[in-house]
Amino acid sequence: MATGSPRPGPRGEAGLIAVDALGPGGPYHSRTRLTITDLGGTAVAELSLVPSLYVHRAIGALRAAEPLPAAERLAALARAGEMFATEPVGGLAVDDYERAVCRISGMPISVVRHATRTTRRALVDAGRDARQALPTGSVADWHDPATVGGRAVWTRRGEVFGVHAAGNHPGVHALWPQALALGYRVAVRPSRREPLTPFRLVSALRAAGFADDQVVLLPTDHTVADEIIKAADLSLVYGGDDVVRKYGDDPTVLVQGPGRSKILLAGEDWHHHLDTLVDSIGDEGGTACVNATAVLTDTDPTGLADVLAERLGAIPSLPPEDDRAVLPCQPSDQAARLERYLLDHAAGTTPHLGGDGITDPVPGGGAALRPAVFEVDRPDATQTGIELGFPCVWVAPWSPADGTGPLRDSLVLTALTHDEALVDRLVDDPTIRNVYVGDHPTYWMRSDTPHDGYLGEFLMRTKTVLRG
Amino acid sequence: MGTRQADSTRTTDPARTSAGRGRATRSSTRAAPARTGRGAARAPGNEAALAGPLDQVPAESDLIEAAMRWHFDPRTGSPFWLELAPSLGFDPREDIHIVDDLARFPNVVDRLRDIPAAALIPRGYALEHPPDGAAAVFGVFDSGGTTGPPKHMLLMTDWLERMLARNERESAERGYPVAADWLAVAPSGPHMFGTFIRELAHRQGRLAYTIDLDPRWVKKCLAAGRRELADEYADHLVAQARTVLESQDIGVLVTTPPLLERMVRDERLRRIIDERIGMVEWSGAHLDPDTRALLRTEVLPRPRLFGRYGSTMILSGAPERIGLSPDDPCVFDPFSPYVTFRVVDPETGERVPYGSRGRVVMNHVSRSAFLPNNLERDEATRIEPPPGQVGDSVADVSPVAVFGDAEVIEGVY
Repeated sequence: MATGSPRPGPRGEAGLIAVDALGPGGPYHSRTRLTITDLGGTAVAELSLVPSLYVHRAIGALRAAEPLPAAERLAALARAGEMFATEPVGGLAVDDYERAVCRISGMPISVVRHATRTTRRALVDAGRDARQALPTGSVADWHDPATVGGRAVWTRRGEVFGVHAAGNHPGVHALWPQALALGYRVAVRPSRREPLTPFRLVSALRAAGFADDQVVLLPTDHTVADEIIKAADLSLVYGGDDVVRKYGDDPTVLVQGPGRSKILLAGEDWHHHLDTLVDSIGDEGGTACVNATAVLTDTDPTGLADVLAERLGAIPSLPPEDDRAVLPCQPSDQAARLERYLLDHAAGTTPHLGGDGITDPVPGGGAALRPAVFEVDRPDATQTGIELGFPCVWVAPWSPADGTGPLRDSLVLTALTHDEALVDRLVDDPTIRNVYVGDHPTYWMRSDTPHDGYLGEFLMRTKTVLRG
Repeated sequence: MGTRQADSTRTTDPARTSAGRGRATRSSTRAAPARTGRGAARAPGNEAALAGPLDQVPAESDLIEAAMRWHFDPRTGSPFWLELAPSLGFDPREDIHIVDDLARFPNVVDRLRDIPAAALIPRGYALEHPPDGAAAVFGVFDSGGTTGPPKHMLLMTDWLERMLARNERESAERGYPVAADWLAVAPSGPHMFGTFIRELAHRQGRLAYTIDLDPRWVKKCLAAGRRELADEYADHLVAQARTVLESQDIGVLVTTPPLLERMVRDERLRRIIDERIGMVEWSGAHLDPDTRALLRTEVLPRPRLFGRYGSTMILSGAPERIGLSPDDPCVFDPFSPYVTFRVVDPETGERVPYGSRGRVVMNHVSRSAFLPNNLERDEATRIEPPPGQVGDSVADVSPVAVFGDAEVIEGVY
């Protein structure tokens, strides 16, 4: 494909990081570009936006391309993981990349660094992780001797996988590379909130052996975003309730919707679990879908809210690039909007922390989003479903008579209980996607366990191959 | 295109208005032989500046002054303008001499939604076409209706003739294939676009194949969130275009950018267009610079690709300037002095500097119609006009920029 207009080096005009589209014909420096600013409003990067014609042609090129042989795919993924985490990519050293992500997204630098390591591991192990979804009756390749006489073979449901990436956390890009491991060609639309991570990742994948027609980066404005989903065979989309409504019924779209993770304390003394509670709320700056949004307890919710407020209130406000920073930051205007939204929606609840506001300006521009603890008076209060991108928790009373209703619609439910019949019902509930029984933080993850189902469940199907 | 939101911004640039420059300077721009003073023996409206030969273009002030005499003379002006005249606060026949003076007029386009279109016929036409001049009307045409009820405009036959003559020249200069038939996938019905293309092909002695499209239905589908319905309709149009392109010998394809894009997404259809079509003309919607460059360099390298920035409110379209490379901004030069553009800051009404973005203000001044100072909803880059052209040229016309994702509050993504 065309290479767009003449393009500057990695540090383009005015020292901005040039985040080009990465198309099937190589980098594309478009004429329509979006300036990406940091917390203080200073321009940091310039994102090339591609039009819909470019999207359709790029995805056509992906569809026409043959995947690499499986062994080469996995080797390239592993190489890309090492490059992503240890080498300069696209002219940016790891430290520079991490610092830029931190300044653009407001994510604490320690969280960004941790995500770099997580992403490295996810790429190195992408093949193994993807295979966790392999159904027990099947083999991964029709050449397997088991197909002589007939056997299920695990095959792709399509050829091109589209990703509407999220920008809330650099770690979200650890998932979709599994599609490359499975032989899909992949088109990623970065979030304008943080396009550097997918740019770095796609650049590293290309440098590591994936040709330009195997994986592409297609930044678009929102009017063109849908074209990627329409043109791809299958897609992964991150978003809130609006995105769930829009794509929830589309069998070609896997929606990663709201997390609304929760913790239930039933017959347990919360004094023994405070570290787990606090970490579940505030780890990763409270920006992840696995952070606890609500805590329900059958014992003294007011006392619990007080203690949580005390513990979370002690976290200092620091600029995100400070090694000790824990809280996320946002540009001042966005932070003010979040604060107003929270306070508007908290009407009728009892504030224990953050009732007077949650924004705290930090040096260098922008504001830290300080923790918030609000107590609601019933387990089914609508507030328990309000998930915000910082440590914000709703504490609610719960009794066995309330049942599992208030616990539903959770990405993760940590159940501190010995009531096995209750755990039975939680595990059976289709709207609760992960159940952790006992003293485990909601953000617990291991790569061989599913996060919201295995990606392979969506990307693959079995078919019978009989030969010989 | 061709519609805008209610806005009656009036703009004046004292440095450029005739009041500011003084009449002496202004008169120097006049072609002396064409001058016909008010009160001269010739009937107003038949003087050379308004009704000269189709291949002659009058000087700026000759046209404007003659048009003011015609449109604001009780014997020849339209009921619409004569009724409005007392509220203007100035006498157009005394005070309006050059194009920039037109900024003194209010923006009247919103009234065109309600008034009977016949009120726009200058009474002077009734003398030639009794009883009321309606016989001189080629058609009633509507704006797109993007922003509220459509505005009605009259296309008079004499202006159509002038435009067609102009377009013929433009086509020849741009190397349109001469012995080739046309396919227009463009709106007819209340819209001027399709009708005009058909007339143009006819004028050149060629066949015009037409496929109709209803842009209002598409807008309605999209507004209702029924994207899939709009997509189905577009597929239906492309399928019809394909039938014609496959079976007929078409040399000129005229369509809108979104439909052109859909056609070339289909590799087989793209190849037919690339191999067989000599000229692709786009109009009726915006084409972003990246898509234009892709079309010209990679998707349709063989045919020539030309744009036309049209609007019902100027009863015409401004063609893309000759000789632009795929990397150049797409510049449109209007049919000055009849049709003129001004690129302004919508807040202040002041012209933006050359090379800067602003909103487009359009004027149409002819014997058949008068529509001054219409602030369009389009944004464009202000470009220096070619020698002899009055007003601005425009480039990279686009809707008001909308970039980012909708703002997200709730949720972590």
